[in-house]
Amino acid sequence: MPNFENNDTSRPNTTKLPLFTSLSDNIQAIMTTLGNSDDIIVREITIGKTAKQSIALIFIDGLSDTLAITDFIMETLMLELEDIPEVQLGKANEYLKKNCLTICDVRDISNYSTLYSSILNGETIILFDGLVTGLSASTKGAKDRAVAEPSTESVIRGPRESFTETLRTNTALIRRKIKSPNLWIKTKIIGEVTQTDVSIMYINGIANDKIVDEVLARLDKIDIDGILESGYIEDFIQDSKFSMFPLIYNSERPDVIAGELLEGKVAILVDGTPFVLIVPALFTSFLQSAEDYYQHWTISSLIRMLRFFGISLALVAPSLYVAITTFHQEMLPTPMLISIASQREGVPFPAVVEALIMEIAFEVLREAGLRMPRTIGPAVSIVGTLVIGQAAVEAGVVSAVMVIIVALTAICSFLFPAYGLSNTVRVLRFPLMIFAAMFGLFGVMFGIMIIILHLCSLRSFGVPYLSPFAPLILKDQKDAMVLFPRSSLLSRPRLVSKNNTTRGHKYSAYKKRNTD
Amino acid sequence: MPKIKTLFLLCMLTLLLSGCWSKRELNELAIVVALGVDKVDDEYEISVQVVDPSEISTKQPSSGRSPVVTYHAKGKTAFEAIRKMTTLTPRKAYFAHLQVVVLGEQLAADGINDTLDFIARDHEFRNDFDVIVSHKSTAKEVLNVLTPIEKIPANKMLNSIKVSQKAWGSTLSVSIDELVNTLSSNTKSAVLTAIEIEGDTKLGINQTNVQRIKTPVILNYIGLAVFKKDKLVGILTEEESRSFNFLNGKIDSTVEIIACPKQGKLTTEITNSTTKVTGQFKNSTPQINVQIDVEQNVGEVECDINLTENKTIQYINNKTAELIKDHIQKTLKTIQQNYQLDILGFGEVLHREDTKKWNEIQDDWSTIFPELAVKVDVRVATQGLGTMQNSLLHKEKE
Repeated sequence: MPNFENNDTSRPNTTKLPLFTSLSDNIQAIMTTLGNSDDIIVREITIGKTAKQSIALIFIDGLSDTLAITDFIMETLMLELEDIPEVQLGKANEYLKKNCLTICDVRDISNYSTLYSSILNGETIILFDGLVTGLSASTKGAKDRAVAEPSTESVIRGPRESFTETLRTNTALIRRKIKSPNLWIKTKIIGEVTQTDVSIMYINGIANDKIVDEVLARLDKIDIDGILESGYIEDFIQDSKFSMFPLIYNSERPDVIAGELLEGKVAILVDGTPFVLIVPALFTSFLQSAEDYYQHWTISSLIRMLRFFGISLALVAPSLYVAITTFHQEMLPTPMLISIASQREGVPFPAVVEALIMEIAFEVLREAGLRMPRTIGPAVSIVGTLVIGQAAVEAGVVSAVMVIIVALTAICSFLFPAYGLSNTVRVLRFPLMIFAAMFGLFGVMFGIMIIILHLCSLRSFGVPYLSPFAPLILKDQKDAMVLFPRSSLLSRPRLVSKNNTTRGHKYSAYKKRNTD
Repeated sequence: MPKIKTLFLLCMLTLLLSGCWSKRELNELAIVVALGVDKVDDEYEISVQVVDPSEISTKQPSSGRSPVVTYHAKGKTAFEAIRKMTTLTPRKAYFAHLQVVVLGEQLAADGINDTLDFIARDHEFRNDFDVIVSHKSTAKEVLNVLTPIEKIPANKMLNSIKVSQKAWGSTLSVSIDELVNTLSSNTKSAVLTAIEIEGDTKLGINQTNVQRIKTPVILNYIGLAVFKKDKLVGILTEEESRSFNFLNGKIDSTVEIIACPKQGKLTTEITNSTTKVTGQFKNSTPQINVQIDVEQNVGEVECDINLTENKTIQYINNKTAELIKDHIQKTLKTIQQNYQLDILGFGEVLHREDTKKWNEIQDDWSTIFPELAVKVDVRVATQGLGTMQNSLLHKEKE
């Protein structure tokens, strides 16, 4: 497998100490540094039949594949190796590397910093008595999860694979989809203590170089002890720290990431999490699902419009209810007003308190259902439906309309393919309800205007968040609120991929002819 | 203090200033669906019909309480009476969902301008409710009649007026805006639909009124009330009201009964009627031309007649046209001779036709109108015979 990484240059140079000549000194030093931890295995052996050479194999139990070490290192060195011609010359390591070790990736080690990073990545270190250069053999073999079905973004039709916690598996999943030599990966080690691999992936020639440089520059600025999930990175590199709206898109589906890469975006993969980040993110991306592209465009267009309707409803339904029933009763048709009034007879709270109680109760239920052990899950739903829904109405604490409104809001907030935006919308409902209770529809409009102004001011890696709506780009409307047939989607988002905005050869040629 | 902090504080304070100036919870409202105004010895008596929402709701079984409650209060002005009513009502009356305003007969005879001013001026009233006049009873009594099926009597009144205007043509839905516009016009006079209580007035208030299979006390529209300026002067009969609506272009559908050539009757269903009123000056003598195009179907045949013949259809057409024309001319005579009131807006038609000549005769309009020549032309076209051709009475001679 070709090596795309360039580990050695990017690792932090903390202890660039050279190795000692004596094997026992080296082992001593390593054991001291690693605190004599129990999972470190040091195996000292002597190789060669005539000219003997003491060597030591060092690896961490659990991170390395013991079977590979036994089969391809120990067996070769102890049983099959006849003689080492270069022992006298002090080049035993060269000989082993060239002739004996039946392992793909073997590298020289001459200082302690590389030694530690290798050993902690699961590689096996071979140290030679009397030599200042050792070898590291790639025997990574930590337990990892198999590629499974995506759990957060499910589709009826589409690939059934999702990313795993292993960075290498994830890059391979993307590479299997885009077999282009222009798919480039750059890796950085971030986190002083955790030393987490963070890779960025992009298609050279399609991605905007400025955005790639900006991503790298922002990643360089991160100064933290540990990265445990891509959320850490997201928080560090996003354009606005205070905006509640997600400015970086994430997905656990390789097909989604591949699609975004083809639009000229940059993917950020973090070791240890199946969630891959994509920058720049646009507001519309959060309302699009991978399946939109796999089914007929008319259906996808309708569903997208439904999502836009859903997000509006999830945001304003409770506040509209509060505003209309407490300020603008004249807006309701008379039979409806009387019906709502009859349900509100005997409800002890003002509409806004009623709305807040129910919405908070729903949030509590949702969160409880999410965090509870799976086996207790059904209990939550029973309590939720019976106590909050039915009993509250029958007891006359809340009106039935309010329960309908809450249910409607809840269902609408589950409509988004991207979870991040749904959280934001659910939170923003509450200030809107307060505005509605204070100023009626005027307050709701005021709140919505603040939200829209805020959205307009947002940028994700320099690209306006609301594009292609604000600024309006007519060409990009083909894949925004509606979806045009595949054959007419021949251009990439103009603001994302500035250099290379055409998708097929024919179209490129046609465009070229027209401009010439 | 730093500028930003000051600004922030100012913004916060403005939020406090506005407060909840018109916040009203739904269960703080008494939803008024009908308003009645009467005049009792120089004082206004206001009646309101308020919905009891929990009685209307379909969820709970009825507890036997009346679905609506009426309150009455007297005052020197209408507004005063309404505000005085808060001493009686459990909640503040909310007028935005008013369906119908009933003006008492006595009040209508004395003049309705003063009352209407409040109703049209107050911001809480919407302007889409209908105004009607009570006949041979007070508005208070009209509001005190319970109606079956439509639990809210105001809805019954509103629905009846609209349905009968559509399918029969003897009523006219007049909204407050139209009424105020007409009253402020110099030439045109107003008409309002008149309502009558059929049965013992005192019994309508009782719940038994809606419990019987045959309702003892019924609210019934009898025709159109004619106003001179803002005073009630008379009521057109049902027949005259329909003819009035023909002239007015307000007929959607109605029925006409014509005589068959030999004996028996034939009823036609009018499905569409368009009226075109044009003015004309002949040597500064004004004249009105009314052109009515009627489309009809044969609705009921009670005589021996061969409907499959073209000649018969021709006969039906002519006969219906004649009948409608006859009715209209009689009605015009009543309006022009008896009432001498331009309730049809002929003056406005002439005004539109020729402003100069109109200005010359405008001042004498009240004397010209009774003598005004109105040429009525009715054209009838029979479109269909219904689901069968000849009547059972007709035996074709082979």
